[in-house]
Amino acid sequence: MNLLRRWLPDRRWGVIAPPFLWLSLFFVIPFALVFKISLSEMAIAQPPYVPLLEYLDGVLNVRLNFGNYTWLFDDPLYADAYLSSLGIAAWSTVICLAIGYPMAYAISKMRGSLQNLCLLLVVLPSWTSLLIRVYAWMGILKNDGIINNVLLAVGLIAEPLRLLNTTGAVYVGIVYAYLPFMVLPLYANLTRMDPRLLEAAADLGARPLTRFLRITLPLSVGGVIAGSMLVFIPAVGEFVVPELLGGNEATMIGKVLWGEFFANRDWPVASAVATLMLLVLILPILLFHRYQSRELEVAR
Amino acid sequence: MDDYVSIQGLTKRFDDVVAVHDVSLNIRQGEIFALLGSSGCGKSTLLRCLAGFEVPSDGRVLLDGEPLASSEPHERPVNMMFQSYALFPHMTVESNVAFGLKQDRLPKAELRERVDAMLELVQLTELRRRKPHQLSGGQQQRVALARSLVKRPKLLLLDEPMGALDRKLRSRMQFEVAAIIERLGVTCMMVTHDQDEAMTMADRIAIMDAGRIVQIGTPDEIYEQPNCRFSAEFIGSVNLFDGTVADDERDHVTITTDDLESSLYVGHGITGYEGMAVAFALRPEKLFIARENPGRLHNQAHGRVEEIGYLGSHSVYHVRLDRGKLIQVITLNNERWAADRLRWGDAVWVHWDDEAGVVLTS
Ligand SMILES: Nc1ncnc2c1ncn2[C@@H]1O[C@H](COP(=O)(O)OP(=O)(O)OP(=O)(O)O)[C@@H](O)[C@H]1O
Ligand SMILES: [Mg+2]
Repeated sequence: MNLLRRWLPDRRWGVIAPPFLWLSLFFVIPFALVFKISLSEMAIAQPPYVPLLEYLDGVLNVRLNFGNYTWLFDDPLYADAYLSSLGIAAWSTVICLAIGYPMAYAISKMRGSLQNLCLLLVVLPSWTSLLIRVYAWMGILKNDGIINNVLLAVGLIAEPLRLLNTTGAVYVGIVYAYLPFMVLPLYANLTRMDPRLLEAAADLGARPLTRFLRITLPLSVGGVIAGSMLVFIPAVGEFVVPELLGGNEATMIGKVLWGEFFANRDWPVASAVATLMLLVLILPILLFHRYQSRELEVAR
Repeated sequence: MDDYVSIQGLTKRFDDVVAVHDVSLNIRQGEIFALLGSSGCGKSTLLRCLAGFEVPSDGRVLLDGEPLASSEPHERPVNMMFQSYALFPHMTVESNVAFGLKQDRLPKAELRERVDAMLELVQLTELRRRKPHQLSGGQQQRVALARSLVKRPKLLLLDEPMGALDRKLRSRMQFEVAAIIERLGVTCMMVTHDQDEAMTMADRIAIMDAGRIVQIGTPDEIYEQPNCRFSAEFIGSVNLFDGTVADDERDHVTITTDDLESSLYVGHGITGYEGMAVAFALRPEKLFIARENPGRLHNQAHGRVEEIGYLGSHSVYHVRLDRGKLIQVITLNNERWAADRLRWGDAVWVHWDDEAGVVLTS
């Protein structure tokens, strides 16, 4: 209790309690469960794994099985999947940034009513399910899809290009799905910027390009990092897009996880995959967090 | 040069508001010129027109004989210190100050030298590696000043330079900033709504009301010879008597007013006519207050002390005259123990000299 009080000063309890509970309920406890399963062994049973603790004849047996983890390192399939996931997520983030920054910048410079309209257009697609939107992309990219039909009709190509079931299609899908998560934090950051800073820079003799490079860009780093994390972190574990658009081309870790879980019904290995993924992602999350708290300090 | 900066018929309209209305004025080289006016009267807009952030709807500005008309802000030899300083939060004090010089692609050595000299001048050398958010309000203000001075602008614009400081620091910085500007010989136009600030810092003051210039003059001209009711009431406190000219001679005028039993006698001529409606402005410190009847023919009134404000160095008396008007009298407390200090409710006489007040015709 004493330790707890040191951590959470009384007066702040009211404010801290809700997010604390939320985090415990929806992150810490589920993660603990997953971690527990990852140390178990597969079994043909309901649930399909061996319990960790067994109380038999007055003896408490604790069985921790690290085999699932060593298995992940033994079979190169997993390492490949992790690396390709990280690679695809990283490049998708870069592409999202390249498209999203100019968009957010342009929106932040518009007049009020137009700004709201454009922001609405940015988030509007997210109002339908991602699954449906990815299906729509299948319709666009498949062999007798819109793109191929148009190109054939115009006569630019003689036979359909293979667009679907390629890594390229995965990029298209991920960038499309996560672009709003890049645009919104960037927009929030850019509109918050004091226009007088740019006036001051102009007043001191800086040309428009210098103003952008020396003032706007460095001051929007917070938005760039926030947007990149919001794209990168979920993109690493993305399942729907590589499954539907990537075919057998892109083995991303989300697909492997799904396969272990539903196809092989090997919950312990699936859990180990998930745990390792979290460990891989925890580093950027922590970095992001550190940056954010430093930003807050500067803002004060 | 009397018209180093020459503003001619400058007008700025925003949709339906006329923020600056046909302003013409000249600023001398090396002068500190203050624009004084209440909030929203168009001071910042006028300054922003000079800096190039707003395009005037009409009129023109000459700086050292050259028209500023269409040049972009970054091309003008004009630097501005912003109302909220607008320091670059991601740069150190040093980089903030060096920013303007870097845009001119100055050689490294010269740049360093000038930044060092400027930091020395505003006493920030020790804090040069700090970021703006690690500085106090007064220190931030000096960074902003240094940043706008380091390019040696032909015209320095200060928008409410003391606006964000507390009162004590403000009065110290007023002298300090004025001293720095004068030492560098920079021509400066500053904006303020604080009359003390304008009076301490400026060589000349322009009073602005609803986008127009009402009066231009040195601080004492503005205070002692206001040219209209607005100036008189805007600067300091004043007792105003409405009346009509009864006798208009070359060397004096008399004015009758409903507020006083005897008429007002003014010891100088005015440009007016008999029967003209005028106002007579009398500063509170120009009045004498006494228990005995001073026995003048004019310029005295009987009343009762209604309130006393003791302010240490001086006291403010609110006196209700017999005809009902409430006036203010200020006396210096130059004796530590006055035996016969006036009290609340005392019957008193107030009186003043023939030259104590000003006749306002508008
Ligand atoms: N960009 C703008 N668009 C429309 N109206 C404006 C704009 N800028 C200023 N105004 C109007 O012009 C008038 C003068 O504004 P300005 O900022 O020059 O006042 P100010 O004298 O500097 O006041 P303060 O002492 O409060 O800073 C105000 O009525 C203001 O509402
Ligand atoms: Mg202003």
